[in-house]
Amino acid sequence: MASLKSFIKAVRKAKTIADERAVVRKESALIRTSFRDAGLDQTTRRINISKLLYLYIMGEKTHFGQVECLKLLASPRFLDKRLGYLAAMLLLDENQEVLTLLTNSLDNDMQHPNAYIVGLALSCLGNIASPELARDLYTNVETIMTSNNGYLKKKACIVAAKLVEKDPELSEFFLNKIPQLINDKSSSTLLGAVRLMESIYINNEDDRSQLIKYIPKIIGHLKRVTTSGYMPDYDVGGVTDPFLQVNLLSLLRILANGDGNQTYAEDINDILTQVASNLESGKNSANAVLYECVKTIFTIPSDQSLKILGVNLLGKFLSTKDNNTRYVALDTLLSVINIEPLAVQRHRSTIVNCLSDGDISIRRRALELSFAILNDQNIRVLVREILTFLETSGDNELKSYVTSQLTLAANKYSPNDKWHFDTLIRMLKVSGNFVTSDIISNILALILQCNDIELKRHIISSLLGACLEDSTQFGLSIITIWSIGEYADLILNQTVEIGEKKSKLITESVILQLIDELINNTTYSQAETTQLITYILTAVIKLSIKFKDSQSIESLRLILNARTYDNNLEIQIRALEYQEIFAQDTQLKKGLLARMPAPPLKERESLSLHATGSVKKSTSMGSATNGSGPAVPPSTDDLLLDLLDDNNSTSATNSTNQNELLSDIFGSNTKPARSNNDAILDLFNTPASNVTASTSTTSNSTTIPSIEAYANSHVRVLFTPKSFPQNGTAVIESIIESHESSAILEQVQLLIAVPKSQKLTITSTSGDTVSPGQSIKQTLKLVGKAGAKIKLRVKVRYGIAGSVVDEQFDFAGFEHTL
Amino acid sequence: MTIHFLLILNRQGKARLVKWFNNDYSNQERQRYLSEIHRLISSRDDSKYQSNFVEYEQQHKLVYRRYAGLYFVFGIDLNDNELNYLESLHFFVEILDEYFNNVCELDLVFNFYKLYNILDEIYLGGQIQEISKSRILERLAYLDKLA
Repeated sequence: MASLKSFIKAVRKAKTIADERAVVRKESALIRTSFRDAGLDQTTRRINISKLLYLYIMGEKTHFGQVECLKLLASPRFLDKRLGYLAAMLLLDENQEVLTLLTNSLDNDMQHPNAYIVGLALSCLGNIASPELARDLYTNVETIMTSNNGYLKKKACIVAAKLVEKDPELSEFFLNKIPQLINDKSSSTLLGAVRLMESIYINNEDDRSQLIKYIPKIIGHLKRVTTSGYMPDYDVGGVTDPFLQVNLLSLLRILANGDGNQTYAEDINDILTQVASNLESGKNSANAVLYECVKTIFTIPSDQSLKILGVNLLGKFLSTKDNNTRYVALDTLLSVINIEPLAVQRHRSTIVNCLSDGDISIRRRALELSFAILNDQNIRVLVREILTFLETSGDNELKSYVTSQLTLAANKYSPNDKWHFDTLIRMLKVSGNFVTSDIISNILALILQCNDIELKRHIISSLLGACLEDSTQFGLSIITIWSIGEYADLILNQTVEIGEKKSKLITESVILQLIDELINNTTYSQAETTQLITYILTAVIKLSIKFKDSQSIESLRLILNARTYDNNLEIQIRALEYQEIFAQDTQLKKGLLARMPAPPLKERESLSLHATGSVKKSTSMGSATNGSGPAVPPSTDDLLLDLLDDNNSTSATNSTNQNELLSDIFGSNTKPARSNNDAILDLFNTPASNVTASTSTTSNSTTIPSIEAYANSHVRVLFTPKSFPQNGTAVIESIIESHESSAILEQVQLLIAVPKSQKLTITSTSGDTVSPGQSIKQTLKLVGKAGAKIKLRVKVRYGIAGSVVDEQFDFAGFEHTL
Repeated sequence: MTIHFLLILNRQGKARLVKWFNNDYSNQERQRYLSEIHRLISSRDDSKYQSNFVEYEQQHKLVYRRYAGLYFVFGIDLNDNELNYLESLHFFVEILDEYFNNVCELDLVFNFYKLYNILDEIYLGGQIQEISKSRILERLAYLDKLA
């Protein structure tokens, strides 16, 4: 059989992957065959196992060699043992049955007179200990810990730590070894002792109090190491024993944090000050110790002056050129900001500088930190920097995070309304393609709520100016076109600034030009274009009563006409409806197309309201959690499985499905972004559907009959099929009506589930309280496979006279299909 | 506070040393980690001024460094001291360099089993166990004599 070396050479010689596979397969087969030979000698076995390890590194299958390595390590020769244990550590792990076969060999070898063989056994146990092995072999480890051999003592400590991890009960046997170990001055033994204490502390709560008393010992060691002079053996970059220092500091942090009485607070403060001030930052090894020290300072209850020292150290880290140091500094500052906000503020300019760093991890952290330190004092300065970042950075994946955070911060801290809007517009200008729909709706709502006419004029003309300059920023285009539709009259015949110097008089033709440009823009995705066109159509119909020039009005009509043939159904419907309105007389149109009333305050806080709302709804469905939530309590199972019956798809019982279904049920609510988007669509839909209703009454065309789906002594639930275009979508209006005689119904909710193959979007209700004889309406939009039957499972819930009523029913009474 | 794995990969992504201290990964996961980590690190390595730390898969932070044509990679806990492990990585490389006398990739390829023996003298079960360079080298020399 060929040697290991020639095998490796053969693998390396292979020119193609196929060649390599062939070599590997052949060798692997040979090894398997030789393992089947009962009389295999240890030398051949050793060679084969070494080849097997090479295969292991290459990622090949090696399981067939597991028993063979046990045979090899049972050999009396050191050479065999060494490779046998090495292979055992790599090819076996704690989860395998064969491990039990290892117990005997480990037991024997840990008592071997040769310290190196004991070392091999210890290493092996430390790597692949299972709870069973831990319980079987802890006494051996205990014995070795008390030996005089430093080489074995340190290994035994670390193995003991591992065993405690596997079975916390074992800590009692090792706990009494600590007094002796902690007095050892050898760095490696101490390192092992520190590791053991840490493991006991973490894994066995009962023994914690017994460890805290060692704090003075640890402080003593730290003092000794920091004040000791040059020690060639343990010197790294001019720092004495940084590895030990780091571990001592980290243990100190764990213990001091658990010391409720803070018995040693003063001494700890002193030693931390000493470590922090004795070291010169610069070299990586020194920084590693300082970094650990700072982490400790901010985790335990430290002195104020010590905390300041800590933040200053981080400030020093930040100002270095080394990216690693800056990375940890930013990372730590992020966790410190809640403890010492003011001290962190002082490093603002350094943090801001990191926004333009070459390393994305650093930029990302600098951004997070910038938003974390943002407040009403520094918002102007910081936002300027953040906008510059948006403008110059190529990190597109960070931009939606930035725009969301920026909108949030501006809502919270803006010094005045004008600044607020100017900032938002600048943001749209530089990254209008990276705003989510909830930000768009948020900005639109802000514009609607603005009562200052002068400011509004300023906003609209800034938007228009920005959009004329660059029509490829989606968010900007959407918001501009909407605002123009609503408020064009405010800025007609005014001049707006475009870019730095140019200015332009806004006429009807300028607006038409912009509309034209946006319609013909090809930089947007399909979905974006659809959304933009629908916004444009709404703007066009609104402009039809604002424009004076008959030729411009004709142009508007032509835009609408052109869209009545659009391939996209949503656009086509809208265009047709608007065309209908366009033909009405001016008086009626003025009423229909009046400005939108300002919506109730829908700031981003309202987003979280949406979220909590959905949680409330989920709990009402039997305390199920929404989509991503953890366990679904069994009580909901029936209901859920019940719901799943409606489902045409197979495989209905696993919990993921239930979760998915749940998220389907709450589809529109569980995702705040979506629902807000819907809300803003609602802003548009409401007038539109009102319009349809009123046109139908004026033209006396067919009125659509509502279908009663459910009734009891309090409420009636009706569904009105609104539109069934037969292409897989349907719009239905649900009406909850209360009986004349009934009391006032409160917190009325309609929860609707559809088969999983369909998707349901529900707009928010017109209110949640129903007085006798009144009703509330909601619009449901269903999307699914064309031709599918519509089936709804509905749960209506309301409060009456202080008690809550739940009613559930199924409804499939529509004549139409999707 | 533990090292989950230590990898040595060459620039083409071939593994030269794989050591999983954490036994919780399945075989598929291990192979996926290897290729993903190589992709992640080599792309970072191409652009200048990157730190030697990068988060990976939510629960890991990679501390890595390229020495000639080889990437040395530690997978550590998110809240571990990155600088400390970077220093330790360098310590490991220095030992290799002295042991093999100007170590190169071929040394590691043909002596991979020795590489593991060295590793086992410096780290144990994901912990740093020995921090004196001279002691480790002495021990290694002695162990070679035993064999």
